[in-house]
Amino acid sequence: MKKSVEYLTGLLLLLLLLAGCKVEPKPIAYGAANCAHCSMTVADNRYGAELVNDKGKAYFFDSAECLAAYINEQPEQGQKAAFLLVTDYARPGQLVDARAAYFLQSEALPSPMGMNLTALADAATAGKMQQEHGGQVLDWDQVLLAVRNDEKLQ
Amino acid sequence: MRNFSNYNLLLTCTLALLLWAPVASGSTLKVCKTCVFTSVKQAVQKAGAGDTVLVNGGIYKESKIEIKKPLTLIGQNNPVIDGNFTGQLITVLADHVTIQGFTLQNVATSYTRDDAAIRVMGRNNIRIRGNTILKTYYGIYMQNSEKVEIKDNVVVGENADKTESSLGNAIHLYYTDEVNITGNNVQGHRDGIYLEVVKNSQVHRNTSHKNMRYGLHFMFSDGNTYTYNTFRNNGAGVAVMYTRNVRMEHNTFEDNWGAASYGLLLKEINNSHIYNNVFRRNTTAIHMESSSQLDIRNNDFARNGWAIKLMTTCIEDTFRLNNFTGNSFDVSTNGKSQYNHFENNYWEKYTGYDLDRDNTGDVPYRPVSLYAMLVEQVPPAVMLMRSFMVDLMDNMEKVLPSIIPEQLVDERPLMKRIDHDNDRKLVQVLR
Repeated sequence: MKKSVEYLTGLLLLLLLLAGCKVEPKPIAYGAANCAHCSMTVADNRYGAELVNDKGKAYFFDSAECLAAYINEQPEQGQKAAFLLVTDYARPGQLVDARAAYFLQSEALPSPMGMNLTALADAATAGKMQQEHGGQVLDWDQVLLAVRNDEKLQ
Repeated sequence: MRNFSNYNLLLTCTLALLLWAPVASGSTLKVCKTCVFTSVKQAVQKAGAGDTVLVNGGIYKESKIEIKKPLTLIGQNNPVIDGNFTGQLITVLADHVTIQGFTLQNVATSYTRDDAAIRVMGRNNIRIRGNTILKTYYGIYMQNSEKVEIKDNVVVGENADKTESSLGNAIHLYYTDEVNITGNNVQGHRDGIYLEVVKNSQVHRNTSHKNMRYGLHFMFSDGNTYTYNTFRNNGAGVAVMYTRNVRMEHNTFEDNWGAASYGLLLKEINNSHIYNNVFRRNTTAIHMESSSQLDIRNNDFARNGWAIKLMTTCIEDTFRLNNFTGNSFDVSTNGKSQYNHFENNYWEKYTGYDLDRDNTGDVPYRPVSLYAMLVEQVPPAVMLMRSFMVDLMDNMEKVLPSIIPEQLVDERPLMKRIDHDNDRKLVQVLR
């Protein structure tokens, strides 16, 4: 009897520990978190980005271009990442998968680090905003390439 | 003959005056409760190029005022333009516009439009003086413009809750050159003054405080100067990033406290001067990354957590004639290699002697302590500060340096605190 209680408590503790290191996105503390790439304070909740690695540690970025630059510098971090997230411009503060997002690069919409990248969750909104502001719509791989080559606009 | 030449001169003068007159003094349109014009927007629409619109005191509930010709807009007896959260207040779409003496208030936060109290798009020779701007998203927003004067304005945002990021910048400049920003008081915004791709500009005698992110922020903005400003109690005092040729002189950076807080953040800065500044009570007075050829001279670092965090990516920086007093750590770094130069600084923690009486210590001083290196690697180790073991470790390291960077040394530390007070008094008078 005593043994099984010990066993159960042990199991519970183990479960708790596992729950403690669950790999999941963490909310960005705007105004308090620093960008892992450029050291700036993450302040604009229309542009924040996040990388969660395979161990559940979250890195915060002030813009999609900083996240891209970080991954370009350390490709293994990008491959190991459990989550690559950017903020949906249409819904400030809402994080979406970077690899599935649409990026409008338009000079009419300056982003924090000068690459004029605005992330949007769905194609329809991206198309509508492109008509309104001009520019081009990129996917995540094209963003990585544009940041590597420092192409503000093609 | 002589009479004739006099007459000629007179004629020329009269002609010149006649030609010049329409440009210099247009007609004046008055706006008040009992005037012909009762709204600023009406008067601005009716006015011709070069006219003056004189607005008398009172509250004008208006927004989306578009200025499309050269105008002088003057407020008398503090008129208030209240946007009632319906959109941008004044949009300037012409050159040679002056806006002076107004209170502008209540612009709504919009995540899709960067609305401002005053916005200037692609124009030159703009003057914005002596206005008070309250409860706005962006305060003064300039884009693709040049030759701008922003003087003696007060911009107050609301950031009671610091985590709320629905705040624009108080003074925001984007691709705008030759700007003079003097004597403004900005607070409660994301950044107090923000320069993105701005060249040949001056930022003088402003007070920037209680902003969520930075008091003053440079991005890709070469060849600018900021002097005699006070940056107090911001998320971080000033951030200068990806920029070259910046002069930073006679500024005060104080009370910028917080886990992610700096007095001055330098990231990829080259060929710049940091002279005669005061850094008081900041978590980190100067944090430097990837910055080279900086001349850091005659500054006071007093009572900061870290006076200087010098990352190993910094090279060829010079620290000369600075005072380091009452800081928990004077210099901290994250590696062994060092290519920077320290000379003739005053270090309060220096315990050497001066037998030859030349006012410089006879033994070199290493400002990085072993414990500072340890805290850089393992931040929680900070809880051991001022413990016996840490003191013992530090003293052993002083005798037999092994972990601290060998080259990071002041060969000629000063024995006496440098008196920068003469300069300080001058600053007081000028304020």
